[in-house]
Amino acid sequence: MICQFCKKNIATIHFTNVDGNDVVKIHICRSCAEAKGFDYLRRSNFEKTDLLAGLVSSALPEKAGTRMICEHCGRTYAAFSKSAGLGCSKCYDSFGEDIAKVLKRIHGNARHLGKSPRRYCTEKVHARRRIRALEDELRVSVELENYERAALLRDEVADLKKGMEKR
Amino acid sequence: MKQKQLQMLLKKPASWLAEGGEESELVFASRVRLARNIDGRTFTHCAEASELESVRDQARDALMLAPSMKDSIFLDMNDTTEPERMILAERRLISQDMVRRFTNRGLMVAGGERLSVMVNEEDHLRLQSFEPGLALREAFDRVSRLDDELDGCLEFAFSDRFGYLTACATNVGTGLRVSAMVHLPGLVHNGDIRQVSDGLRHVRLSVRGSYGEGSEMVGNFFQISNSITLGLSESDTVKNMDSHIRKVLEFEKKARETLLKEARSLLEDKIWRAYGILRNARILDSREAMELISAVRLGVGLGVVTDTGLSDLNEMLIMIQPMHLQMLYEKVMGPDERDRSRADYIRSRLKAS
Ligand SMILES: [Zn+2]
Ligand SMILES: [Zn+2]
Repeated sequence: MICQFCKKNIATIHFTNVDGNDVVKIHICRSCAEAKGFDYLRRSNFEKTDLLAGLVSSALPEKAGTRMICEHCGRTYAAFSKSAGLGCSKCYDSFGEDIAKVLKRIHGNARHLGKSPRRYCTEKVHARRRIRALEDELRVSVELENYERAALLRDEVADLKKGMEKR
Repeated sequence: MKQKQLQMLLKKPASWLAEGGEESELVFASRVRLARNIDGRTFTHCAEASELESVRDQARDALMLAPSMKDSIFLDMNDTTEPERMILAERRLISQDMVRRFTNRGLMVAGGERLSVMVNEEDHLRLQSFEPGLALREAFDRVSRLDDELDGCLEFAFSDRFGYLTACATNVGTGLRVSAMVHLPGLVHNGDIRQVSDGLRHVRLSVRGSYGEGSEMVGNFFQISNSITLGLSESDTVKNMDSHIRKVLEFEKKARETLLKEARSLLEDKIWRAYGILRNARILDSREAMELISAVRLGVGLGVVTDTGLSDLNEMLIMIQPMHLQMLYEKVMGPDERDRSRADYIRSRLKAS
């Protein structure tokens, strides 16, 4: 596994901090660990926020979005990148595509799979999800040069989209 | 009234502790939590007092109506003392953080402590369920049912793309954390625990020592949890965890078998010595007590020790914690006095059985 911080060396130190039910995982190389004083942190009960700051800022180019602010709650992007803490649910919109990058870095994925509140369980939502899944598969098929499969997928996506417009 | 309810709750350890379940010799407990927030409200850590109050009241009113929460009590943390909150934390009903930051926080606990909800912790609601032994699916189903009951009464913050929106980016998506607290003396003894935990980390599960006062490993107890909440459905998360944990348990069972085959008398000697100390010691600090209980617990699992059982030992692990001891003996005690009381308590438990 590659070090989360320099993204060059192999991460030789892996650790996890759990506070209650919250799990924060860190994969870091020796030189970054020394530079950041993580050796000390590993032994003591370090602050989760320090650690997440590293995670978030390492996921993003240095200056990206530092001026962004959530109009709904006033949370700045800078504050988010210090702690991975959002101010309100609208922050997820306010911080644009950068947040998707951060989520991808943390979870290895940036698309929800699973339960949703009843108000989201409409046919339209199901269709939209299905389209997204098909589009993902389509991309993979094209990459693998499986054009036959890609053509089928493209047709299915087109049909679904047409169906949604009618409604 | 509230005070009385709290006293009643705290007087006895959770009933599920004594019940035993699948693989209960190796799995102390299963625990599942769901993080939920109310749409349009500021997250707890950024909210002002008035907002916290109104979220707390809104959450409480919704919880009161939920069928899963009937026969439960709601504790307004403003009305609790620090020792009471510390006991709740030792029970894992609230977080350490909530012991310190308690203003306008709340806790709702349903019968037998199997189901509880923290209000205004890191997220507006944290639904939590415990089961004895390995029963991740059952624990998940219970919190998920409560989640369904609340949906409609409360509008949860959700986005099509990122799922349930949480105060920290590490929980977004399902908001689901599935944990098993496992007892792995065999793997610690043969040294394979390192390899096993590396393997678990590789499949993005986290392993940590549990039931110590800090996060270090004591008594060969570990907590295994999922670390990813985005891009994996709830049922896949539960299924993955379940199958990985079963694999770990298989390794542990093999390790125990080998130990018995190759070093039976040594192992039995270690177990009986531990039992002897627990039944006779006059001073026990919590680390030593946990290590000894761990050895006797292994003895029970192997059928070496038969005059005490898992449920007694599980209860003891809860009751020997500092605040629980002080509650039991109804006085404030310093560390030295606690160590004496801990030894007294354990002696009385093991003599009586
Ligand atoms: Zn590095
Ligand atoms: Zn916001």
